[in-house]
Amino acid sequence: MQTQSPIVFRCMEVNSSPRNLTAVRKLLADSHLEMDGDITTFVEARLGNCVVGCAGLAGNVIKCVAVAPQFRGKNLSAQLLTEVENVAVARGHLHLFLYTKPCNRERFEHSGFWPIVQSANDTILMENIPSGIQRYCRRLQAYRVPGKRIGAIVMNANPFTLGHRHLVELAAKSCDWLHLFVVREDASFFPFSTRLNMVNMGVSDLANVTVHQGSQYIISRATFPTYFLKDSGKVQQAWSETDLLIFRNYIVPALGITHRFIGSEPFCDVTHQYNQTMHQVLADAVEVVEIPRIKVADKAISASEVRRLLKTDQFSRIRKIVPDTTFTCLESDYARKSQKNQEYHYENC
Amino acid sequence: MKIVREALAGTMESSDLMVKIAPTEEGLEVVVYSEVMKQFGDQILQVVNTTLRVMEIDQGLIVIEDKGALDCVIRARLQSAILRATEQTEINWEKLL
Repeated sequence: MQTQSPIVFRCMEVNSSPRNLTAVRKLLADSHLEMDGDITTFVEARLGNCVVGCAGLAGNVIKCVAVAPQFRGKNLSAQLLTEVENVAVARGHLHLFLYTKPCNRERFEHSGFWPIVQSANDTILMENIPSGIQRYCRRLQAYRVPGKRIGAIVMNANPFTLGHRHLVELAAKSCDWLHLFVVREDASFFPFSTRLNMVNMGVSDLANVTVHQGSQYIISRATFPTYFLKDSGKVQQAWSETDLLIFRNYIVPALGITHRFIGSEPFCDVTHQYNQTMHQVLADAVEVVEIPRIKVADKAISASEVRRLLKTDQFSRIRKIVPDTTFTCLESDYARKSQKNQEYHYENC
Repeated sequence: MKIVREALAGTMESSDLMVKIAPTEEGLEVVVYSEVMKQFGDQILQVVNTTLRVMEIDQGLIVIEDKGALDCVIRARLQSAILRATEQTEINWEKLL
């Protein structure tokens, strides 16, 4: 029984029409939701001049889905999600993620979303491809190496420093095999391909290390949104539990990981919190080994320091805290970029 | 035909279905979910497999979420999604009948 629906759907860019957001904001507030800062696009359901439903899109993550109380029970959220999926696929994102409260789980399951993990702070992460995570883990299993101690490191390597090298070296030495994941999300100063290249070159002499390209399931906008906002200074809480639960429940069994290695984090609050949460979440499943940072001239090496030095052209100081492989890469990269009028973007680490 | 990009077709309305297609490195993977799987699962799979065979799709990930659509609707949605995913500009209408 399909009646003619007078509700129309409209796609709205947050940047170009900030004034139109008032109605969306109000609708979200009525549903006890806050507008998320990284949403770029909203799909609105409108009845005349009234906004009766909305769904936001931040990259490949759907957020802030709300329907006005009097319009609930009409399958409007499923329609909103379909609209968002169409907008996203036109931008190259078929595979989408969605955070919601567990009480909405069933509603979204009927709208084509499958649960991945549920965290203790009462959010559940879902994806719109059935068994997406299982499919990913099946691919990972091909890289499984037998052994008693199997280590894992996840790094952004932005850029790969002597600190990273130290961490990898120690971990590789204490393990039968080490799986090294490079964060894939292209939200950093150095693009993924450059970071991956620097890591590959920087560890090529270590025989028991596999370098993996990261994925949507390891420190991505979907699993750990605040990681990529950390330099904005607006992040109060890391919200990293989802990421670690995925690691524990899916990636650890796929590769038979027994140890996870992290560098201690004296500078960045978000990463520090992530490390703290890791100790809690992984406690029974994996041994977490925190390795103190190495220092050069009494200063702990950090990638953010390298980026800072890069801004002011202090190559002689950079040389002291990055491996030669990274230095060569930085030099050639920098030379090329300067010719292109400094197309660097500095906002993220 | 080769699936070269991700594509969508359909809706999540009752009596319709949503088709999602993505390229894969190897193999064809077809996932069908339906609200009426128990009653019509075999028939749905038959429509899907026949459509894929006729359009010569042997690689890719095909996800179908059926909300009780008729066979002709399933075929039409799947065909649309395939045409989008294969970036076909010249359509061989005989194969879509």
